[in-house]
Formats: sequence, structure tokens, C-alpha cells
Amino acid sequence: MNTMPTLRPCTRTWLLMLGLTFVTYAIARLGLSGEGLMLGVLAIALFKGQLVVDHFMGLRRVRGFWRPLLTAYLLLLGAALAGAFFLSQG
Amino acid sequence: MHSTSTVVATPQQSLPGDLAIWIFILAELLVFAVLFMVYAVARRNNIELFNLHQLQLDRTAGLANTITLITSSYFVVRAVAAIREGRAQLCSRWLWAAFSLGALFLLIKGFEYQHHFSLGVTLRTNSFYLFYISLTFFHFMHVIMGMVILAAVALKAQRGGYSDNEHTGVETGASYWHMVDLVWLILFPLVYVMH
Repeated sequence: MNTMPTLRPCTRTWLLMLGLTFVTYAIARLGLSGEGLMLGVLAIALFKGQLVVDHFMGLRRVRGFWRPLLTAYLLLLGAALAGAFFLSQG
Repeated sequence: MHSTSTVVATPQQSLPGDLAIWIFILAELLVFAVLFMVYAVARRNNIELFNLHQLQLDRTAGLANTITLITSSYFVVRAVAAIREGRAQLCSRWLWAAFSLGALFLLIKGFEYQHHFSLGVTLRTNSFYLFYISLTFFHFMHVIMGMVILAAVALKAQRGGYSDNEHTGVETGASYWHMVDLVWLILFPLVYVMH
């Protein structure tokens, strides 16, 4: 018999987001740098944004264009910011 | 003829909350995207200055504020789940808990501002602080707006104004609060971490 309590999906999402936030913080506190790492930090932020869109805003199962629209927003913003940061390294 | 099981196999929901709030959310997200891009381009022209002054920011306060907003957003999700089950008082309690974390966010950010201002930092100090103060204060104002909405929805829920059948207002307020959270999730690494 399984007596382990099951977490709600939104609780799992919340814990995942907290974990990812600590990863970003650790990178900052340790003074780590590098293009790849900064891209990773940006990717984590965008992934957390998508988690908010899907699981907190609840758009994952919503019909229509709203979820694709917000996903496109995150991807385009991420690409533009990455471009600006990469160009600055040149 | 469709059987019931095939119809419900892939449930699709309608947009939570009022359509108007989603149009407003899109407009807000576009404004923040432009501001983020302006920050990134300004940084490209002053990399050393931005990297130097970014180190003066309190990243632990940034972490605390990120945890605070993510958790408040989670509480709002629980509030929506509660009202969908018809539990209005529980919904109201979750909303007040989220409101309290919003207040904590403002308090932490206020301490950050007070620290910088006590060192003589202003909008005119340099372009990094111009963007740091402008971007975070613009978001700060959105947190206040979100808290006003959360309080209004919580009070109405407390008075029995929502039910499991009619809770558009709760979903509308929740959607706005999640947008405030979403913006901070990008703002924090962009301004505090990325260099």
C-alpha cells in the first residue's frame, strides 16, 4: 500500500522554481561567468517563465493561441536578450 | 456519433479570467520587453560600468524577493483551486497570504532602495543605476497594483461574492499577479546576475 503523500502538480512546480532560483543565485554568489553560463542563467529564467505560463496561469490546457503567444514572447525576448549580450562580448 | 469518453479524453479549458485582463497583460509584457531590451542595449555600450555597479546590488535581497514572489504566485494558484472547489473562505485566506508576501517584497525592495539612496545613489549617478532604479521601481508599482487587486478579490471572496460556478474575478486577479511574478523572474537574472 502506498502511504506516501502525493504533491499537487502546482506544488511540484513551485518547488522546482525555488530550486532553479537557488541555482541562479549560486552562480551569482560564486562569481561564475562566461557566455555559456550566462546563457544558462537566461534559459533558466525563460524556463521558469514558461512554468508560470503553463502551471500558474494555467494556459497549458487552454485552447487557442494564448499559450503559443506567451511562449513565443519568452522565446523572442530570450533570443533578443541573448543577442544583445553576445554582441556585447564581440 | 461521439461517445462521452472520446469527448472528455482531451479536456480543453477556456481562458481563465476576463479576456480584457489578458489583453492588458500582453500590453504590459510588451512594455517590459522593450524596457529589458533598452537595458541590454545600453549595457552593450557600457559593459564595464554595468558589470562594476551590478556587483553593488544585494543579490541575497534579490533572491529573497524572487522566493517571495514565486511563493505568493503559488498561494494564488491555491486560492483559485480553492474557489473552484467552492471553498470561498479558504480562497480568501490564500489570497491574503499572497498579499502578505507582496508586502514583504515591497519591504525588502524598500530596504534595498534605502541602502542605495543612503550612499547617495540617484537616477543621475550613472546609466546603470538609471536603469536599475527605473526598471525595478516600475515593477514595484505593478506589485502595488497587484496587491490592490488581490485585496479587493480577497475581500469579495470573504463576503461570499464568488462560488465554484462564478469566480471569474478570482481568475482575473490571479492572472495579473502571475504576470507580475513572470516579469520579475526575467528582471532578477537580467539586472542582478547576468554580466
